[in-house]
Amino acid sequence: MSTDADAELKPAEPSRSTNRRARDVERRIDRRSLLRPGDGPMVTFEGVTKRYGTDVVGLADVSVSIEAGEFVFLVGPSGSGKSTFIRLLIKELDANEGTVIVGGRDLGKMRRSKVPYLRRGIGCVFQDYKLLPGRTIYENVAYALEVTGDAPRAIRRKVPEILSLTGLSDKSDRLPDELSGGEQQRVSIARAFVNHPRLLIADEPTGNLDPDTSIGIMQLLYRINRTGTTVIMATHDRDLVDKMQMRVIALEDGRLVRDERSASYATVEP
Amino acid sequence: MRLGFFFREAVRSIRSNVAISIAAIVTVMIAVFILGTFIPSYLYVQSAVRQQESRLDVRVFIADSATTPQVNALDAQIVALQTHGLVKSFTFVSKQEGLQQLEQEGADPSILQGLPNNPLPAAFDLTPTNPAKNPQIAAALRGSPAIDTTMPNGNGITYGQQVASRLLSIARFIQYAGLVLLGILLIAAILLISNTIRLSVFARRREVEVMRLVGATNWFIRWPFVIEGVICGVAGAVISVVALWIGKVLVVDPYVSSFNDPLTKSEVNTLGFGTLALILVVAGGLVGAVGSGVTLRRFLRV
Repeated sequence: MSTDADAELKPAEPSRSTNRRARDVERRIDRRSLLRPGDGPMVTFEGVTKRYGTDVVGLADVSVSIEAGEFVFLVGPSGSGKSTFIRLLIKELDANEGTVIVGGRDLGKMRRSKVPYLRRGIGCVFQDYKLLPGRTIYENVAYALEVTGDAPRAIRRKVPEILSLTGLSDKSDRLPDELSGGEQQRVSIARAFVNHPRLLIADEPTGNLDPDTSIGIMQLLYRINRTGTTVIMATHDRDLVDKMQMRVIALEDGRLVRDERSASYATVEP
Repeated sequence: MRLGFFFREAVRSIRSNVAISIAAIVTVMIAVFILGTFIPSYLYVQSAVRQQESRLDVRVFIADSATTPQVNALDAQIVALQTHGLVKSFTFVSKQEGLQQLEQEGADPSILQGLPNNPLPAAFDLTPTNPAKNPQIAAALRGSPAIDTTMPNGNGITYGQQVASRLLSIARFIQYAGLVLLGILLIAAILLISNTIRLSVFARRREVEVMRLVGATNWFIRWPFVIEGVICGVAGAVISVVALWIGKVLVVDPYVSSFNDPLTKSEVNTLGFGTLALILVVAGGLVGAVGSGVTLRRFLRV
């Protein structure tokens, strides 16, 4: 990846006063998001088990730690527990056993009312984009900021910024279904990243896309990672994983079967 | 408070779910219309009953043969009852006045003129402080020699015991039944609104899902829906109020004025239309807000 791309993703160096305002906003988001940097690992699973009903196992005794700033692939066949892993991270589910710690917070002990603030610090990207069909691209991205209570002026500044970073500037007045799948996924990434979350989770983001488009999405996620955001990407796109040679966490039937740095989708046969 | 955003979202939702919104408005409209006809009718009946109660006067007939001292003694007895607080006021009605009253109440003058002499006895008209205690008054006066015991009812004292107790129990029944009916109507309206909002939430479940994913608090998600409910509720109520006003002007007013003689005009009344309209619009808005708030609880479990 070129350093140009990294520079491009960071906000342009603003004047002193806007800098202070931006810092205030950052501080506010940090306080609300509950995810502060420098609190140890970004994500820690300790002996986490999640069952659905009595005998369906989502995750079985998984222990894993992900440092802040890492890029991690979560791989495994359908039903291996990738989605369970992700839904535990945003506390859509609670673990039956073990502890899930995100940004230094034990989610098992977190009160329901704090969950929205947790999620403000986590960007989420999904296979089906989850865009709002009746709204333009601009409105879809602005929505994430309206929800977190940003000032209208801040919204007018941030949205065009993130749209240009994701290469969508000329699409801002279009509706989602006028865009290609790859473009829609870019919108969804723009929405996830517009708050500059400390953690970005992508659940099969390239699942519906052709290989070329997938590479574009992959590059975008990688550039986001290079700004310091931790990225966890669940996928079963073998080619992508092999090409990137990043950390790979493999799940099978809910168990952790492999955790390797700079690895491929499958263990290389000797 | 991001009021502008909430209002924009609410209006957007109403516009994109026109059919559902109309259903909600019509629902509130019907409920408020029923409420709007019920409240004045209920108050009218209550007021009419109260007026009837006040008409439950005790009449003590005086025998034509009674001597002046006997009548004075009876008068003294009634004054005593008045000082005990049982009788509010009383008047003496002479034979001639009795005849005049009968004429005023619509008796055919030719019949009255055809009478050889005045058959009506003189009487005391007693207004009781509490019509329920009429039997006590009657018991206290019974036995006075001045009383005309040949009059119907045997003892010369009439106060319509049956009518009195009947009216009083009906009044009480109307009061309780009215309250129960009012409660049922309100609950029905809230359930209908909540059902409609449920449809609206269902139509917008994707929005709600995305809102939760990007970290919206429950109240933040709830506000646009509550505002939507209030808008629909108030709109329905306003339409109803207009319909009620048209009904009042075209039907009720001419009907009331058709029997608007001095006797019925009196104290039977109900609350003014302005107050009623205000109550109904506020009720519509409240029902909308409560209906949507209640419905959303289910959807907001994370």
